[in-house]
Formats: sequence, C-alpha cells, structure tokens
Amino acid sequence: MEETEKNTTGTIVEVTDEGPLSIKGNFVLNDLKRNNVSTPGEVLLCRCGKSSSQPYCDGSHCKKQA
Amino acid sequence: MEKAKSFSGGRRYRNEEITVYWKPSACVHATYCFAELIEVFDPGRRPWIDLSRAPVDKIIETVNMCPTDALTWKWNDNEKNRDISPDQTNHVKFRRPELLEEDLPETPKPKSVVVKVMPDGPVILNGTFTLRYNGKTKEVSDSLISVCRCGASDNMPFCDGKHRKAGFRE
Repeated sequence: MEETEKNTTGTIVEVTDEGPLSIKGNFVLNDLKRNNVSTPGEVLLCRCGKSSSQPYCDGSHCKKQA
Repeated sequence: MEKAKSFSGGRRYRNEEITVYWKPSACVHATYCFAELIEVFDPGRRPWIDLSRAPVDKIIETVNMCPTDALTWKWNDNEKNRDISPDQTNHVKFRRPELLEEDLPETPKPKSVVVKVMPDGPVILNGTFTLRYNGKTKEVSDSLISVCRCGASDNMPFCDGKHRKAGFRE
C-alpha cells in the first residue's frame, strides 16, 4: 500500500568485515579524483587502500590477509 | 474516478476535484450520508462511495453533514484548501488536518544518498540510509558519515584523518 511514505531512501550501506564497503540502492556516486559522477545502483568500494582499480575493490585485501 | 485506496485509518476516494476520506472507526451510523445522497453513499454497493454520481457541491454538502470525522473531504488543488470557512465543517482542515499534507496521487520520491569519494581520502556518505557495520544495524537519517578508504584509521570503519600521515595515494 502506498499510504504513509517512508522516510528512507532504501539505500543500504554495509561495511563488510575485512572487506570492501558495499553500497546498494538509490545513491549518486561522485568520484572527485577522477571527476566521475554515476548512479550505479550497487558498488563495492575499497577500504584497505591496496586496490589497483580505485575507488573500487579488486580483492587485494584478500591476498594480504592470507 | 480512481479506485478506492487504503490509507492509514481508512480509505480515500477521489474524483477530478475532491478527495473524500472515510474512517470507519469513527462512524456512528447517523445515516445522514446515504439518506441525503444514496447515489454516492450506498452501503450496499462496493465501493460504497462513488464520487462520480453527483455534483461536487452536493457531495461536499453531504460530507459536511456527517456528525463525526468518519467522512471528511478536501480539494485536490491544495491552493483551494487554504481559505476554507468554518461552515465547511468536515473539511480535513478542521477534522483531520494531517491529511492536508497528504500529497496525492504521487508520493514524493525519497532523496538520493550522495556518496563522495574524496581524493586520497575517505568516502563520505550523506543522506538517509541503513548502515551495517561490526554486526550492528543503524538507521542514519539525513546526516553524514565518513568511512576510511586507506586502511590506516584507528577508528574503523570511520575516517580519523590518518590517511595523510599514512601517505595514502590511490
């Protein structure tokens, strides 16, 4: 039913343990270094600083942890 | 006329000009509505209210006769809801003012969350969203968080400014 409008955007941000930052839903991603604005719907952002495809996760954190 | 829609506490009915709200829990069965205007208010029909069957002024007059707030009404054009005289007894302004704010038919779209990836720095998330971290779930409402991207923060998962000292270059 469309009665009471929800005060949420439905966007879910999850900090995964020892892994990337997962963002899903309605959001605008503004990458200031690469001057790139997008609305991808879903991204995994690097949190360890080691990815070679910044700002996205490329799985590098796994190699270092092992 | 659009189909009856449920909303909190009852149903609403619309035609081109007005919206009529029905709140069954408030009805004391005074029967003014169908005694006056059976074409529109017919308890034996589904849906029992059909706003296409009488002139708007007649419907308004009948709704105003309802002794409770079981039946209330408003203009669809919100401008016209501003200067309503008290003799319009069952206008929502006097009975259920919360319904004046109800923006029909479309519900406002939620604002998008803005995610800013700062150059050689954190990622800043601004808006309203659900945040999960360290096994916790938190509703962030119209505010801002800053998440570490360099891996050096002592306050994980949040940024503490350590990226500078760590010489983070992406």
